[in-house]
Amino acid sequence: MTTAIAAKAQVRTAMNPRRYLGDTWRHPIARAFLKAILTIWVTTTLTFALIRLMPGSPVELKIDELIQTSNGALSYEDAKAIASSLFAINLNAPFHEQYLSFVWNLLHLDLGSSFLSSGTSVTSIIIAVLPWTLFSVGTGLLLSFVVGIGLGLLAAYRRDSLLDRVVSTGGSLISSIPNYLIALLMILFLGVQWHLVNFTSMRGAYTSGMQPGFTPAFIGDIFYHASLPITIYFLTQIGHWILSMRSATLSALEEDYVTAARARGLSDGRIRTAYVGRNAVLPLVTQLAISVGLIVGGAAIIEQIFAYQGVGLRLLAAVTQRDYPVIQGIVMLTTIAVVIANLAADLLYSKLDPRIGRAGGASG
Amino acid sequence: MSAAVFARPTLGQRLLGPWHASVEFFRLLSRRPIGLAGFIGIVFFLLLAFVAPVFVPFQNDPSLVDIYLTPSQAHPLGTDFQGKDVLNQIVFGGRDILTVAILAALVSTVIAITFGSIAAIVGGRLDSAILAITDVTLTLPKLILLIAVAAILRPTSFVFLAVILGLLQWSSLLRQIRAQVLSLKERDYVEAARSLDLGLFHIVFREILPTMRSYIAIHFIFAMTEAMYAQVFIVILGLVPVSGSNWGIMLYFAQGQGALFFRDSIWYILSPILAISLVQLSLVSFASALEDIFNPRLRGSA
Amino acid sequence: MPVLSVRGLSIDYITRRGPVHAVRDVSFELEKSETLAIIGESGSGKTTLAVGLIRLSPRGTKVSGGQILYTKNGLTTDVRTLDDDDLREYRWAEAAMVFQAALNSFNPVITIWEQFNDTARAHGMKDRHRVRDRADELLDLVHLDAKRVLPAFPHELSGGMKQRVLIALSLMLEPQLVILDEPTTALDILTQRSIIDLLKQLRERLGFSMIFISHDLSIAAELADRMITMYAGRVVEEANVGDMFYRPRHPYSVGLLRAVPRVSGALGSVASIPGSPPDLMRLPKGCSYAPRCPYAIDECRASDPPLFPVDTPRHQAACFRWKHVAEVLGSNAEVPVAEKLA
Repeated sequence: MTTAIAAKAQVRTAMNPRRYLGDTWRHPIARAFLKAILTIWVTTTLTFALIRLMPGSPVELKIDELIQTSNGALSYEDAKAIASSLFAINLNAPFHEQYLSFVWNLLHLDLGSSFLSSGTSVTSIIIAVLPWTLFSVGTGLLLSFVVGIGLGLLAAYRRDSLLDRVVSTGGSLISSIPNYLIALLMILFLGVQWHLVNFTSMRGAYTSGMQPGFTPAFIGDIFYHASLPITIYFLTQIGHWILSMRSATLSALEEDYVTAARARGLSDGRIRTAYVGRNAVLPLVTQLAISVGLIVGGAAIIEQIFAYQGVGLRLLAAVTQRDYPVIQGIVMLTTIAVVIANLAADLLYSKLDPRIGRAGGASG
Repeated sequence: MSAAVFARPTLGQRLLGPWHASVEFFRLLSRRPIGLAGFIGIVFFLLLAFVAPVFVPFQNDPSLVDIYLTPSQAHPLGTDFQGKDVLNQIVFGGRDILTVAILAALVSTVIAITFGSIAAIVGGRLDSAILAITDVTLTLPKLILLIAVAAILRPTSFVFLAVILGLLQWSSLLRQIRAQVLSLKERDYVEAARSLDLGLFHIVFREILPTMRSYIAIHFIFAMTEAMYAQVFIVILGLVPVSGSNWGIMLYFAQGQGALFFRDSIWYILSPILAISLVQLSLVSFASALEDIFNPRLRGSA
Repeated sequence: MPVLSVRGLSIDYITRRGPVHAVRDVSFELEKSETLAIIGESGSGKTTLAVGLIRLSPRGTKVSGGQILYTKNGLTTDVRTLDDDDLREYRWAEAAMVFQAALNSFNPVITIWEQFNDTARAHGMKDRHRVRDRADELLDLVHLDAKRVLPAFPHELSGGMKQRVLIALSLMLEPQLVILDEPTTALDILTQRSIIDLLKQLRERLGFSMIFISHDLSIAAELADRMITMYAGRVVEEANVGDMFYRPRHPYSVGLLRAVPRVSGALGSVASIPGSPPDLMRLPKGCSYAPRCPYAIDECRASDPPLFPVDTPRHQAACFRWKHVAEVLGSNAEVPVAEKLA
């Protein structure tokens, strides 16, 4: 059915010589890039609207606060000038110019300065924490993807066996319990009740006083500190991959080319990897892109529960301190990171599936 | 896809429909123990949240001598950091959470249905535009955005919170509705309705949507689980101004007061965790059973 | 010794409602370099039979009886008793299969060359250069440009090209037997024509035996030496191709022949057989074609007719009334049945 729709879309494109957004949106690679740019633009605009346009917005609040704390020493204009630099928005210009300069500054990664430690740029704050989140989220996601795909394939091959039941039921059970509850349960049982894990020693991104570098000791240490968040990301994603891979494999097994490969006398191993596995995994690569955004968001609470020094924990601190430039900066840089990960997944997909990307050239 | 499953009911089926359909439905459900358990779980929690509070007195008085009590006759699930009865809080703490989840699911489903069918039926540029917006929303790190929005807007009313949650999660449902409508659009009866010039509204609401009822119901339940996840997420983080009592707020306090690290308070913490998890599990297993029943092509898969 | 001798083969589909007898007690023999066409409506069991011959039946299928005897160099083996390794070797090296859906017979994510190479490696041809030479030779045989085809992905080839590639691939290991399941169904008329011509050429050059499954009698007529008509999982008639077209003795074969469009491809001239094939789970007592048969008498509804030898040599029909059918049609060998009855 989807192919019928795609075919129809192609016919429509072919008949209509005018190329509009719709056509571009149907070309996978162009779409991936366009989507990335649009997503960043939407987030930017949304953030600008939240920060600047809402009545009683953070900017206005800050100006009032500056005037009050200076006991009248600052005029409204002076306060506005300070706020301008803090938020990286030129508040004296008309709204549309404010917006344009805001976007311009963003392009230069100028995201303003933190309220609290004045002079510290938001960009430097984020650069200090973002890698840790990307590292832990990325590791957890990739591990769950690889293991989940293996188990899903196995479950599909041994459909209705005991292994299949255990794996699929377990997978759907664990993926329906919110990840933060699993994190709390881990602390509750592994740490408090059974004393199996020393949570306090695992706080932070690495043991303080350790010299960062590519030494085995340091790498071991960062994995030690990230192990709990990684475990949670792994556990909460694996069910999804198992179930998706299982059903993708079941439908791949019904494909004619698999029967044809058997008829050609190919070995089971070759059929499983290159014929069934490779085709079943394809649709999951696009889901990988969506998952990145989901887990990065969920990471905020996981990092808070385990006191892991990533971008989520920093965001929550900024929220409590009402440090709006930091909030704004984190939202935007995280979005950009997620968008890049998405783009990578989309491009990977078009590389893995020869039907994508070449289609325009070869059949057109 | 499963379009063929959503056959158009005959007149007789429509007249006798509801009764026969529900008998048949429960017969099919009773063959799926996990789905049945999910259904019973949902009924139980709905009763607990909306009916039980009428019969049980609300106990909200802190009692300093009773803090962190282990379960006993008087306090079957123990007490919290203020000496309040945990069971009582579980009974009263479900209503707000479930209400917000239902409202948010309603908001997202309505958005998805409206714009998904418009995109599929009108097609062309409008379709592309809606698809583009949907793809963008799908990419956004929604929970990060939710934190920022909650921090700046400070939602105090539950309706407002529900709307925000609903606005964040319509995208995947919209894509599926659009795909479904696109395939249904080609069916004869829709063609017939179109040739009679019955209008967009009629075609969508009278001809297409009725055939997608079960499909929408399933996604409504999944939307509820997502809304509940996101809701408890920001409540635990303390981003919703705290008032009253619900399972999320219990966890917020348990974490904030350090009860998490207190060995005797295990039932205090475990109770809301179990309540939330069981609601989620019930919803998911019931929805999966529904999928299994209404989408027989996938039948036999676990 | 025939290349393939099938004796009393029965294949069931196991369902929750009980077994479906998809193939019932089928026997036939295929000589070296001979082409056998198996015809019947969809659901007659012809594809199940074809797939069963290389033991590739889907999950939930059970071969409930019979033998599939394959002979090479005077040695005869029952395909049903082969172990996994021997079976893998038998598939493609001895009996290659060109599928109904050739369009989907190739893995969409790897190149045609890799699929040639996979096949070669599975049968012990490890030398990539030799495989490459062989692939070039085969593609040349089916009139395709190897330089263009081998590096291509399946979606970059047209339907007719894919079918040619699959035919080339089927000949890679010089099998004695090639099974073709509706090889031209999804193709346009001109492409069908060229594929048929190609198959004729190849058969003459290489001398393999063919089993050809189709619902399209005109194609079967061009390629086949002998023909089998299947109905409800049974062989109802077996004859040389000329006898089948000019002197059919089973009413179902007659019905099928009438269903052939007279002006090739013109719609509207197809006289279809009234009624539909029976539910294989609840077969009627007696002849399973009786409910649709214009000549049925009480005897037909009482017991299932065995295959009777009829008035022409090597010709059998499972019909009590074959003599009556012969009378109705006459024995004018000049005009095919389709013309006569129209």
